[in-house]
Amino acid sequence: MSHPLPPESSITALVGHRFPGGRYTIAHWENTLLTDCTGAEPLPDGQAHPIALFHVPFLGGGTSIAELFALGQAESDLSIMIESYDWEFFSPLLENLEYDISGGITLAERRDDDGRIYDRIRFDFELADSGTTAARSTITWHFTRNTL
Amino acid sequence: MSIAVGDNIPPWEMPSVSAEKMKTMAAILRDPNPLHWDRDAVAALPLGLGRRTINQGPLGLGYIVNMLHAWQGPGCLRRITMTFPQVVLDGDHVVARGTVQSLEGGLAHCKVWLEHIDGRHLLAGNATVQIRQG
Repeated sequence: MSHPLPPESSITALVGHRFPGGRYTIAHWENTLLTDCTGAEPLPDGQAHPIALFHVPFLGGGTSIAELFALGQAESDLSIMIESYDWEFFSPLLENLEYDISGGITLAERRDDDGRIYDRIRFDFELADSGTTAARSTITWHFTRNTL
Repeated sequence: MSIAVGDNIPPWEMPSVSAEKMKTMAAILRDPNPLHWDRDAVAALPLGLGRRTINQGPLGLGYIVNMLHAWQGPGCLRRITMTFPQVVLDGDHVVARGTVQSLEGGLAHCKVWLEHIDGRHLLAGNATVQIRQG
């Protein structure tokens, strides 16, 4: 099935989009299940597994994976490819600590690699604890067009 | 334990990537993408992957983090950048590996990757790790 290509201007206009922001607390049950999924034992001292830095910014920042797909006008859930993650930790993530989360879109551009058109969109988030930055997450996805 | 440039990080192994864990992850992440929980959706893709679900990117990255934790202890990770050149599928036997590229002020800058047991590199990136004291 062919999908209409979104206007390039509607993609580039995403740069500067800010998510509502908010607060998020990683619950013990959530971290226990998350850590178990990686095949690791629970971490000591209430540490959350670092891969929480994938979903916590979305949920705490007032968005969701589904909304990010929609913002990029994804043809389907199957059309998103990961380009890269860049995660920085200034202190270990902890359970039962409320983080302030902010984020937005910092890059949105159309690419044409030998006729393969896709939109490259970058999402940046920051987690802070009492005004001090605890972690940053940058995620870049490709919104493929008419490849599936 | 002294660490030197060129050292190999002790590998961390996941003998069989679990489709059930992917389902739990999808729920935690609120990830609607059926590639992670619907084998028929994956089989319908023109990619020749068969009826096997695709592991979430953060889970594959998690295996690499587990390797770093086993090496330098929980809380050691300062930064990790990752690319995802190939998918990880349920049932895959994968091994997280890494090497020390440089040392600076108590930090080890490492090349890290997730390798299929057949030798293919599925994830590849770099990590900065706080070196354990003592």
